[in-house]
Amino acid sequence: MSASEKITFWYGCNVVRHGDIIHGAIALLEAVGIEVTPAGGAGYCCGTAKDGNLRAAEGMAKRTVEKFNAHGTGQVVSWCASCDRHMNGFMGEYTQPQFELSHFTQILHARRDVLAAKLTRRVERKVMLHRHFGFHEVDVNPLVEDLLRLVPGLTLVESGTAAPGHMCSALSRVPAALKDVTRGLCDEAVARGADTVATVFHSCHRLLCALEGSEPFKVVNYVNLLTESMGLEFHDDYKSWKLAGSEEAVIATVGRERVAAMGEKLFRESMLPELLKQPVK
Amino acid sequence: MFLLDILKKPPETLRGHLDDFIADTLARCTRCGKCYEACPMTRYSEGLSNADAKQVVSGVLDWLKQTPGNAESVAWLKVCTQSAKCADACPEGINAMKMVRVGQMSAMGSLGLPAEQAKLSGREAKDFFRVINAYSQTQMSAGQVEKWQR
Repeated sequence: MSASEKITFWYGCNVVRHGDIIHGAIALLEAVGIEVTPAGGAGYCCGTAKDGNLRAAEGMAKRTVEKFNAHGTGQVVSWCASCDRHMNGFMGEYTQPQFELSHFTQILHARRDVLAAKLTRRVERKVMLHRHFGFHEVDVNPLVEDLLRLVPGLTLVESGTAAPGHMCSALSRVPAALKDVTRGLCDEAVARGADTVATVFHSCHRLLCALEGSEPFKVVNYVNLLTESMGLEFHDDYKSWKLAGSEEAVIATVGRERVAAMGEKLFRESMLPELLKQPVK
Repeated sequence: MFLLDILKKPPETLRGHLDDFIADTLARCTRCGKCYEACPMTRYSEGLSNADAKQVVSGVLDWLKQTPGNAESVAWLKVCTQSAKCADACPEGINAMKMVRVGQMSAMGSLGLPAEQAKLSGREAKDFFRVINAYSQTQMSAGQVEKWQR
């Protein structure tokens, strides 16, 4: 990929909880000289959650591939491990993609020399990466660790463990496993003296960020560590909501106007329980 | 056979792709059980405490054939977290992680089994897309939502 090339940045569905990650990732891609067409949310769903309804899954996949083809960039850069896996393993097998698929970490890593020049602010943190071993299509852990080593002032604490699954959301189907992983992560971060645990994927961030309320370390997505070093700030709203505590505090932190705009019933029934749920270890 | 393979059109539907994948997996899998043995999740299921690897895999293959598999195969399908260890372990080069996932689809009834024989439910959260759209409102401008997500 040349420095001036255009890409479609396919951020996915569930990451929309984390605007800081989306906006930060776009800023990083632009910082390394890429013209970005962002695409995500329900309109670009891969259909991976529709294994129980294959007709819906196929319809969503075909629509999404057709839209990417229409973008005409020839390059789709994924954020989400599930989307990437579903495109490679299913969608691309019965549609006609007219683009190459790469992962965000690969694109940034390939341009890390350009990125390094933009990382001018010191980020004085002792960081341990929360790792998984399930995303075998792209070995993201060493790529992200290399990127974090570019940040001045940041000390990377080597982690000796990796969790099963491609992301923590996969573990949530096996609560005992998620609990083990969470406990192991906390124990290791404390033992290694990390003051920050860096998440790679949004679903890990979603499920782990509230550890800040009870553990002696911060939980920050690696994108935010990189953008912080660029002098950019993208506030992690979702973490604030998760840390708010009570129902009333969550609503106050989200904002009553925003809750009303989203729909009070939808918020109370389908969003509030998630925001009140805390990590278990 | 080789000529037929060359002349065969690629599938144009998800079902067509799954049928091809299932046929290929059933033809190549030797039921050696290496995929099951490599799985880091089996210890999380009581139903797998004394399971025989070959029997579990045979059960998964039954699901691929749209025949209800044994209880051990259902227990394995339930604890899969896509760790991909099984895919790396297969000596035949089968994507065993995908095999398990297609087995899950069958056990959900997605491939045609009658609902009363389904053993798994879909994993989509309630109000999934409404929630996605609601969060989007809080994290992006209206213009960004319109431009990036329609």
